[in-house]
Amino acid sequence: MVKEIERAGIPVVHMCTVTPISMTVGANRIVPTIAIPHPLGNPALTLEEEKNIRRKLVSRALEALTTEVEDQTIFEV
Amino acid sequence: MKLELGYIQINDIQFSKECKVENGTLYVDPDAVKAFMYEDDDVKDWVKSFKFDIAKPGENVRITPVKDVIEPRVKVEGPGGVFPGVISKVDTVGSGKTHVLRGMAVVTAGKIVGFQEGIIDMTGPGAAYTPFSKLNNFVVVAEPKEGYENHKHEYEHAVRIAGLRAATFIGELGRAVAPDETAEFETLGIREGLEKYPNLPRVAYVHMLQSQGLLHDTYVYGVDAKRSLTTIINPTETMDGAILSGNCVSACDKNTTYHHQNNPVVAELFAAHGKTLNYVCNIITNENVYLADKQRSSDWTAKLCRLLDLDGAIVSQEGFGNPDTDLIMNTKKIEQQGVKTTIITDEYAGQDGKSQSLADADPLADAVVTGGNANEVIVLPKMDKVIGMLDYVDVIAGGHAGSLREDGSIEAEIQIITGATNEMGFNCMSAR
Repeated sequence: MVKEIERAGIPVVHMCTVTPISMTVGANRIVPTIAIPHPLGNPALTLEEEKNIRRKLVSRALEALTTEVEDQTIFEV
Repeated sequence: MKLELGYIQINDIQFSKECKVENGTLYVDPDAVKAFMYEDDDVKDWVKSFKFDIAKPGENVRITPVKDVIEPRVKVEGPGGVFPGVISKVDTVGSGKTHVLRGMAVVTAGKIVGFQEGIIDMTGPGAAYTPFSKLNNFVVVAEPKEGYENHKHEYEHAVRIAGLRAATFIGELGRAVAPDETAEFETLGIREGLEKYPNLPRVAYVHMLQSQGLLHDTYVYGVDAKRSLTTIINPTETMDGAILSGNCVSACDKNTTYHHQNNPVVAELFAAHGKTLNYVCNIITNENVYLADKQRSSDWTAKLCRLLDLDGAIVSQEGFGNPDTDLIMNTKKIEQQGVKTTIITDEYAGQDGKSQSLADADPLADAVVTGGNANEVIVLPKMDKVIGMLDYVDVIAGGHAGSLREDGSIEAEIQIITGATNEMGFNCMSAR
């Protein structure tokens, strides 16, 4: 999906936990997330902490979206 | 460490008030098995009832939803007992003598997750895809108590213990029976092995254990594999039930407890030991859902391969999807240590076989054995008898809405069949 959307000319950020697969399939902008069963949340945290972590992840993804890349890039959070 | 397995061939199972093994027949009283299972508090707390049945090779019978398959064994000499840390107390197993009731299994069935249990057909086209169609199966169908939906981990634990207890009860009946055949397996110390086989390549088996959590778990001496680091185990320990399945995942490529007890990679490496290679040990490593865990565990696997001065490693995977990354990370890092690898996996290449088979890949993973394409479609005819229930056939992984057809037949991917594409290479599927 990432590749097809990009082929249509729209930049994509792939937020995912297993970044090696994302690299293998050819995503260009990758933001690593929490865990496979809960990529954008963490049930072990309080709601307040979880909100913070989500905000951080989404902000990082928006930043990645507006960053020019030369090659496949992982944007560490 | 040396273990002798004494095989007692079981050709038939009969319900009987008297429990014994005689002339290749297991006579067993289901009430006695039930009483033994209910001695466990967790079983008492979560399992409402058990139903028992027998399924024999060639019978027009379908067993579903299948949770686990277990081979009854009993330790007759040497330290520890079967299923250490879970049924027997923690003690190092894998030496002495163990009796095996060969040709039969305990099969646990009933609803747990539903879509992540499997099917065993005892006859017809489906039977060819599962090794368990060739066994005499003592089937235990468990029914949960009310309210289990919010306590599935506790319920899974209870059914797991119940199955192991049933196998322990039955295994015990073989204690005083003279085996039909015996075989010896020995693993040497590092220096001993080097001195005895100085010119043979040193090979280990990297055994990946499903440990994604949320009922995708494996237990080693009672330890939840996702909470453990990569470590070393003697191959004979696995023959005494040191590694147990707690998995409710896609049926085709989960390793049941029976697979762990009868691991074909271990069998083949022992067969080649001292002839074409020096079988050093097993390395067990997990498949967790955090990237950091994947990195740590695969680093550790490669580190142990180097430390053991291996020449080669056989790597077997369990499950599919993100564990493909664990597989590739292990393989790549082991190869980078100068140790050659061959991997055993299976494929999800689409129903037409044209899609990418694994979610991850690397040029260093250049020697691959496949257990087959799990997406291959099969039609399973209606069976005269169903042990368990057909409620989950439409939603089982590999099935689809309408899988269970009006005439009672099932159209689905072979993913729904227990053990169909096993990644230890347990099956005999082949292609021209």
